[in-house]
Amino acid sequence: MSTLTFHAISDADIAAARKRHPKAFGDPFVTTLKAASWAFIVVYLIWSLGFFEIGKLLNASDRAWALMTRMVIWQDMAGWQYANIYKGIAQTIAMAFLGTFLGTILALGLAFFAARNTMPVGVIRHGVRRLLDVFRGIDQIVWGLVFVRAVGLGPLAGVLAIFISDTGNLAKLYSEAIENIDRKQVEGVRATGADTGRIIRYGYLPQILPVFISLSLYSFESSTRSATILGLVGAGGIGMIIIERFRAGLFDQVAFVVLNVLVVIAIIDWGSGLIRKRFIGERGH
Amino acid sequence: MASITTNGPDNGADRDPVSVFERHRAQMIRDRMVVNVTLGLLFVAFLAWSVWISRFTPDRLATGIPRIFEYFGTVMPALQWDVLFDARNEAGRFPAGSIGYWYNDFWKYLRLIWETILMALTATILGTGLAVVLSFLAARNCTPYPWVGAAARRFLEFCRGVPEILFALILVFAVGIGPLAGVLAITIHATGALGKLFSEVNENASMRPVDGIKAVGGSWFEQMRYGILPQVLPNFTSYALWRFEINVRASAVVGFVGAGGIGAELSHTISFYSDDRVTAVLLLVVLTVTIIDLLSERARHALIGKESLK
Amino acid sequence: MLEFKGLTKQFNDTVAVKPATFTIPDGQMVGVIGRSGAGKSTLLRMINRLNEPSGGQMLFQGRDVTALKGRALRQWRNECAMVFQQFNLVGRLNVLTNVMSGRLFHHGFASSMMGIFTAKERAFAIRALDRLGMAHVALQQTDTLSGGQMQRVAIARALVQEPRIMLADEPIASLDPMNAKVVMDALRAINREDGLTVMCNLHTLDTARHYCDRIIGMQDGIIVFDGTPKELTDRAAREIYGAEAEEAFSEAMTSTTLRPQPAAQPEARRVVN
Repeated sequence: MSTLTFHAISDADIAAARKRHPKAFGDPFVTTLKAASWAFIVVYLIWSLGFFEIGKLLNASDRAWALMTRMVIWQDMAGWQYANIYKGIAQTIAMAFLGTFLGTILALGLAFFAARNTMPVGVIRHGVRRLLDVFRGIDQIVWGLVFVRAVGLGPLAGVLAIFISDTGNLAKLYSEAIENIDRKQVEGVRATGADTGRIIRYGYLPQILPVFISLSLYSFESSTRSATILGLVGAGGIGMIIIERFRAGLFDQVAFVVLNVLVVIAIIDWGSGLIRKRFIGERGH
Repeated sequence: MASITTNGPDNGADRDPVSVFERHRAQMIRDRMVVNVTLGLLFVAFLAWSVWISRFTPDRLATGIPRIFEYFGTVMPALQWDVLFDARNEAGRFPAGSIGYWYNDFWKYLRLIWETILMALTATILGTGLAVVLSFLAARNCTPYPWVGAAARRFLEFCRGVPEILFALILVFAVGIGPLAGVLAITIHATGALGKLFSEVNENASMRPVDGIKAVGGSWFEQMRYGILPQVLPNFTSYALWRFEINVRASAVVGFVGAGGIGAELSHTISFYSDDRVTAVLLLVVLTVTIIDLLSERARHALIGKESLK
Repeated sequence: MLEFKGLTKQFNDTVAVKPATFTIPDGQMVGVIGRSGAGKSTLLRMINRLNEPSGGQMLFQGRDVTALKGRALRQWRNECAMVFQQFNLVGRLNVLTNVMSGRLFHHGFASSMMGIFTAKERAFAIRALDRLGMAHVALQQTDTLSGGQMQRVAIARALVQEPRIMLADEPIASLDPMNAKVVMDALRAINREDGLTVMCNLHTLDTARHYCDRIIGMQDGIIVFDGTPKELTDRAAREIYGAEAEEAFSEAMTSTTLRPQPAAQPEARRVVN
């Protein structure tokens, strides 16, 4: 076959190729469908941004600019009440820790009621699962607000909010871990003639304990993140300081607090990563 | 036994294999004990500190816990079976105890939930678009210049490090109360979270197609578009769908600080009323979130199923 | 004419290619041989600047291509197409799109990002595929093809670039003898019919002797042999390959000449390679 340059391709050549490989020139249906879906996305975006009044963004440039400059230029740093800030951060960590700890305990109990292989009674299992769905389905900050209404402002509401949502998350994950257990190991222990206690101790625990610890550690990490904002609804922790100073227009202090929180969260992630590596290897998750 | 312990003249009892093993075992158990007890003490100390710091004291619990049950008692709807499905009466009101009475503001809630879903959808589309672009800049194997990659990674870290609601708080101040602040806040956070996930997917992609496109004289954009994107697209889609679920949850609460959606109504209802309106809104939010989760999970499974068939 | 003037490549403190000076006239089919790690690949990849030379110069038709940047560099890459050992196609795209990607250099930003190809490009790509006997799989997803088919698709992609030079980096190292022959025949046909300069890294002696006009032997980054296949005596080859000589010779038996008895044992060794 002779060679042909690209520029020498004539309409007749195209027609000949199209005749032999009609599909290679694009299926009109597929092409239209693709174009239509892209057009839909673009039209939706334009419409929705109009619906959300994107124009406000342009009008807001002065305010936004003022806000940004005030966040970046830090003034009167001597009077920032650092003790207060770090107490708030400590309270956030304490809330997250206590909430996760209590959540872990309750989840440990509930998980066995939600797992198929440890709870044969369907009604109870589904009941527990739906309860857990409600715990997880409502956002932590909503729980925070609900508990603020119930028990008043302060860290107690925050601990309860973390406790409830962690229970929901952990119990679900725990029950999945229990369901994924390797039956052969349990049977191996049973074959030695062990009683129920020993079967649990040597057959179940070594398999699920590392997973449980790892999950709880993850949960602690994510709770410290989410606990920082619980204060926005008055449920204690650093969020209360952020919103107070924000409302007072002390934007430079807000920026400082947020930076501190980011650093603390990074440290906690790093530390819990170390613990995970040291005690459970990487197989935990 | 003698044949084993021939390595020294002092074949005392302490040198035979069994006692050596036992000695090591005892040492190991002691060492592990020390570590475990130390860690246990640290844990207990940390717990005690947490209890003290968060003022989680018995007297507060004693007064607090009954109030929780009391509160939940007041927000439960008082439904009565005989009038449950009754329509409006002559005065245009639903009888007390009916679902209509409980969900008196149903259409208002529905409009707000619709707004919430639209907010999440717009934010997901915008966030995914930005994340795709940034993920190519941030991935170590793709970035055109190392310093651009480092800068992109720092930027993404910042975007996902700050919670949505905090961005929302700031943006409400900047652009005013309304869903726009919420959409922007969720977009920023989603960009950070997705950008990191996407860039990790990019880093696991094969570089061979990229070399191929480079060798035909393709620009950086073409190398990414043809070399990497086809490889990572299924993963990107799956992550974006998953992010949509999370964004629905987020857009339901950014209203707490005035950034649109059902959140403002939720916050207002919980803060000012303690009657069945609280459970009415909450139930709708939970239902919405659950349905979106189910649909998106279906879509993701369909996507993965299709991929594994190829 | 492609002139090498002391072209060299250094990775940290090891020198992969010591200053190389030689000239390749237009339309020649050059085989580069040597053991693995001799610097063949680096030399080839320096030509289209997938590896950046650390020193020296390279001139094509008198133009310095070592100094090119940006669009000019991409234009140079477009002029010297490359075929890879692992084909380097985009597995998830169909064959036709892979071939058409050879024309990406001529695309604007928008049309390439949106993946829009003209009918002319499609017809041209089909022609290229047809030339390699692959037009029937044009719409198949590329990663469903066999290695030999993929390499032919890769050559088709190189052809639609309308290159002046064709670089082939171990094009048959991952192929079975049958497909290796098809691919090498295609490369030689391109060389003879289109008058393209072909520069090809090969790990088997016999292939090099059989297909190339000129053979360059490399050892530890130095060009130790440069001559016609006839001049490449067994003694010279043994010098190039050193300790790996026996392997190169025995592999040559099964490479592309399709001897009547395709022994099973060297076949198995190729899998390890």
